[in-house]
Amino acid sequence: MEGARRGKRNRLLEFLVERALFASALFSAVAVAFIILFLFRESLPIFLGPGLLDFVLGAAWNPVGSPPLFGALPLVAGTALVTLGAMVFAIPLGVATAVFVSELSPKGWKPLLKLCVEILAGVPSVVYGLFGLVVLTDWIRVSFAVPTGESWLAGSVLLGVMSLPTIISVSEDAISSVLREHKEASLSLGATKWQTIWRVVLPSARSGITAAVVLGMGRAIGETMAVMMVTGNAAVIPSPITNVFSPVRTITGTLGIEMGEVAFGSMHYSALFGLAVLLFVIVLVVNSAALFLLRHRQAGAFGAGRGMVSRAKSFLSGNMVLLAGLAVVALAGMSSRALAASLLVAFALLYLLLTRLRRQWTEKIAFGAMGASFLLVACALAVIIYYVFSNGLPAITPEFLSGFPGNSGRAGGILPAIIGTVYLVAGAIAIALPLGVGAAVYLAEYSRGGRIVSVVRAGIDNLNGVPSIVFGLFGFAFLVIFLKLGVSLLAGQLTLALMVLPTIIRTSEEAIKSVPNSFREGSLALGATKWQTVWRVVLPPSVPGILTGVILGMGRAAGETAPIMFTAAVFSQRALPSSELEPVMALPYHIYLLATSVPGAAGNAYGAALVLLVLVLGMYGFTALIRAGFSGRRNW
Amino acid sequence: MPVSSAFLLAALLLSGCIGGGSGNRVLRVSGSTTLLPVAEKAAQEFMAGNPGVDVSVNGGGSSAGIKAVGEGMADVGMSSRDVKPDDFAQYPGLKVFAVARDGIAVIVNPSNSVSSLTLEQVRGIYNGSYADWGEVGGSGGQIVLVGRDSTSGTREFFTGAVMRGGGYAPAMLEKNSNGGVQQTVSQTPGAIGYVGLGFAGSGVKAVGISANRTVVYPTVAAVLSREYPVSRDLYLVTNGEPDGLESAFIGFLLGPQGQELVGEEGFVPLR
Amino acid sequence: MEEGGAVIGPENGAGADAEGDAVMRCRGFSLWYGKVQALKGVHFGVRKNKVTALIGPSGCGKSTLIRALNRMNDVIDCVRTEGEIEFLGRNVYGPGVDVTELRTKVGMIFQRPNPFPMSIYENVVYGLRVHGVNDRRVLDEAVERSLKQAALWDEVDCRLHEPALSLSGGQQQRLCVARALAGGPEVLLMDEPTSALDPIATAKIEDLVYHLKRDYTVVIVTHNMQQAARVSDFTGFLYLGELVEFGETEQVFKRPKEALTERYITGSFG
Repeated sequence: MEGARRGKRNRLLEFLVERALFASALFSAVAVAFIILFLFRESLPIFLGPGLLDFVLGAAWNPVGSPPLFGALPLVAGTALVTLGAMVFAIPLGVATAVFVSELSPKGWKPLLKLCVEILAGVPSVVYGLFGLVVLTDWIRVSFAVPTGESWLAGSVLLGVMSLPTIISVSEDAISSVLREHKEASLSLGATKWQTIWRVVLPSARSGITAAVVLGMGRAIGETMAVMMVTGNAAVIPSPITNVFSPVRTITGTLGIEMGEVAFGSMHYSALFGLAVLLFVIVLVVNSAALFLLRHRQAGAFGAGRGMVSRAKSFLSGNMVLLAGLAVVALAGMSSRALAASLLVAFALLYLLLTRLRRQWTEKIAFGAMGASFLLVACALAVIIYYVFSNGLPAITPEFLSGFPGNSGRAGGILPAIIGTVYLVAGAIAIALPLGVGAAVYLAEYSRGGRIVSVVRAGIDNLNGVPSIVFGLFGFAFLVIFLKLGVSLLAGQLTLALMVLPTIIRTSEEAIKSVPNSFREGSLALGATKWQTVWRVVLPPSVPGILTGVILGMGRAAGETAPIMFTAAVFSQRALPSSELEPVMALPYHIYLLATSVPGAAGNAYGAALVLLVLVLGMYGFTALIRAGFSGRRNW
Repeated sequence: MPVSSAFLLAALLLSGCIGGGSGNRVLRVSGSTTLLPVAEKAAQEFMAGNPGVDVSVNGGGSSAGIKAVGEGMADVGMSSRDVKPDDFAQYPGLKVFAVARDGIAVIVNPSNSVSSLTLEQVRGIYNGSYADWGEVGGSGGQIVLVGRDSTSGTREFFTGAVMRGGGYAPAMLEKNSNGGVQQTVSQTPGAIGYVGLGFAGSGVKAVGISANRTVVYPTVAAVLSREYPVSRDLYLVTNGEPDGLESAFIGFLLGPQGQELVGEEGFVPLR
Repeated sequence: MEEGGAVIGPENGAGADAEGDAVMRCRGFSLWYGKVQALKGVHFGVRKNKVTALIGPSGCGKSTLIRALNRMNDVIDCVRTEGEIEFLGRNVYGPGVDVTELRTKVGMIFQRPNPFPMSIYENVVYGLRVHGVNDRRVLDEAVERSLKQAALWDEVDCRLHEPALSLSGGQQQRLCVARALAGGPEVLLMDEPTSALDPIATAKIEDLVYHLKRDYTVVIVTHNMQQAARVSDFTGFLYLGELVEFGETEQVFKRPKEALTERYITGSFG
């Protein structure tokens, strides 16, 4: 019978599709496993030799002293402090700005505002580094009258700004997906708009906001280039611990400045890889903590769990803000009692104010704060854009855009670098998009929980925290040397694809999860297969969220130096590449070398930075237009 | 079959179809960023004189360059540090050629009144014995130490020649390039640093080294005549005896045209 | 033929479905959500071209039962079933049954209208498209036929390509009916189709049901007894997962056989 044959074909198709999607999901876990194996192999000597405890808890990092000391404690402290500082101001600022863009901004402005935020993600990390070094640290030095501005503070501010676009954009997607009927239910009960946001919208969007924060934190922890340029890289623990003006050194900063010159196979080399393993563990811990908070907050909300332990867990996650405040006071207390006391008083006053005030006043203050956050972010954007433009514009001439470099890059043009960057980004997205969306579809629609899925998720989260330089090294050892691809466009594209994969998977998954179930049921009830339901009813409304991931991914792929340094890029070559197996010039790498190794090339370095920025903006604008087109159709 | 392997297959096939192009011979040069500007300029001139040759030049660090040459990913490596026993153990066939000398200049911020220091004073500053400019003849203010990362050939040389193997103060800021050191010193009034000659020009003040009551400033001439005491060699590296193309390129750099380029970039020719 | 009713209650056992025109039959059907048993040995037949109503208090299992008829419960994890549901001579829970084929023949309308975020036209032809029908003429004809059958054609015929979400609640529900009809089903399952609608829209749907039974068989779940009395030919009363009574609507409402039924109908509980 005709129907039976079609049924059989359907079942086969469904089976194949599910297997293919599962393979996409597994890919990330496999990639992470490979990377971990690679790291372990290279770092084994340091764990076997001096020993684990000496390495992790050793208080001095002096690889060229006699005897050489490989103590990672100051580096771990540096990473923790800089990331903590960055998150302390990026999370509240980011979520507040997301709320502003999503709920409070004037109609019709939203796509534009969202784009403005994402432009921040398009600024290459080497440009952030330069900006940080030349402008930020100097400003800190002068404003606070310290001998040098290269410090913990500079690192946190810069990293915070760099993770803002991720946090804002992904949170904004989550907040916008909260069903209208939930908001209407709240308003119809007499709540103010702010109460609705605080009590209904934000909790509903919790999953997406957590994803945003985790992605943002991964971005901060894994950033190499920029943090290397502004923290001073002195391997000391600040004393007292709250001295934000002390130079610090992060794990990624160490990898960044020492990896290029270290002798391969030496103990120092293994120690550096040992640091990378340590970083992995830290990211694992951070991700697990985020997951814990998310899961137990939900459980707490429904009153599940009777025992002491689960009650403690619910208490912990339900009173995060309070505990965070207490932690800040405690930290302050370590350096000055007066400071701690005044902070305590300030918090108490704030609490009284917010809870005793009339609702309308609370709303006005809250909305004011949201607006101020957005303005702050917009200001940061404006400052950086101005900096790049004013320094780079003088270098822009038609020859600059269409010619090849001369005089070591001080003269001539950057055309091959522009083309190389376009090739790299296009290839990276072409690889990461199908893999990423496939994995997201599998995780959101097909997986049934259980062991394998947790492993896959852990894999994705950890891939997110891998520093860009480790991607570069892995790409070099595995793709360039082991697979014999050589320093090539293909190796660079694959490496970059790996780097942006977690972002695309996470944002796509959140987008897919936000499609209401009633559509799925409606489709299934009409006799559609699962895959047909996904393809026709679930994916189209998810496209805007997926494109957000693509935009963030593109920005990163275009602007990162470390992943392509060893795998695809050359400083100069005679002609444009004619195949996937040839190396390319690339803008971020070109900028980096001009700024650091070619004296007198600063003007052209900024010019190239400007061109890169405009290129990324062009890619963004195009993708954002597509996204706006799809968003228009969502009106549930 | 996962999309990725399908893509990989397609890409490899495609590249097989497209590749080859001009049919030129290719020379890949890779390694130290210190030598990068010189190598790049040499490459341009070399290609101008040899139309059938494509030369690509890449940075990444001395070690990356040595590994690339050892693994066959590059033809000529650039190194600003000595090639070590560890390197020879991994790749026994390495051959090393000195192509230039580099003077290391001690620099301070232009607003700093100090204009000369003895080697002992520099050592004392860097190992933390002196913490204030007033102690070494300046007008007071905290000294901000700027140095290179521990794997840098420049630092290794500085440690041997100036520090006599001694340790550095823990709060020394570390930068991973000459440009980075120059930038920090130029914008921080209390800073002191060390860079290659090419970076001792604009924005910073080069300090003369005083010994036996004479002060020698770091110039190309002073390095050539060995009067200026702090200088080192820069190298090109190949795996095994250099073949025709590699030998031609190295020869070019060692010849009069090449050495002129070396001078243009602020380094010191061998003779 | 039809007098005496094809009553199949738990105390009658098998047989008594001598009338061959039962389109679907439940035979001793039980269902568990994990450890909780939601349906206990349900036994009845759905007569062709008649409207069968399922009534009962909240939590009695009527939604579970109707969703079992087109295997929509499959989307929930840890569901276990025993017994059979027979459709067109085959047990739908048996091996080798194509669920997508089943759902084309047994369509469902949900409590809350759930049109897709697409145009009216695309909503109606969705079921056809997923089965590979893309011929424009066939689709156009199906759209007009289904929308007319759902009594919506006159209101939307000049705006077929506008978003479905721009329709009113009642119109959206009729659109969902049209959407289910486009695939040419034999049976229509309606899970409380009017509980989200106003009285006028409700009346329109009830009217629709009356006309639909000429060509289709309808099973309707409702907690509104007056609606069941108005609209259906047969009624089943469920309580705590058991089918307490099943028979012709007039008999069940005027001369209920079970005391429990009588108490529910007179509003003593539920």
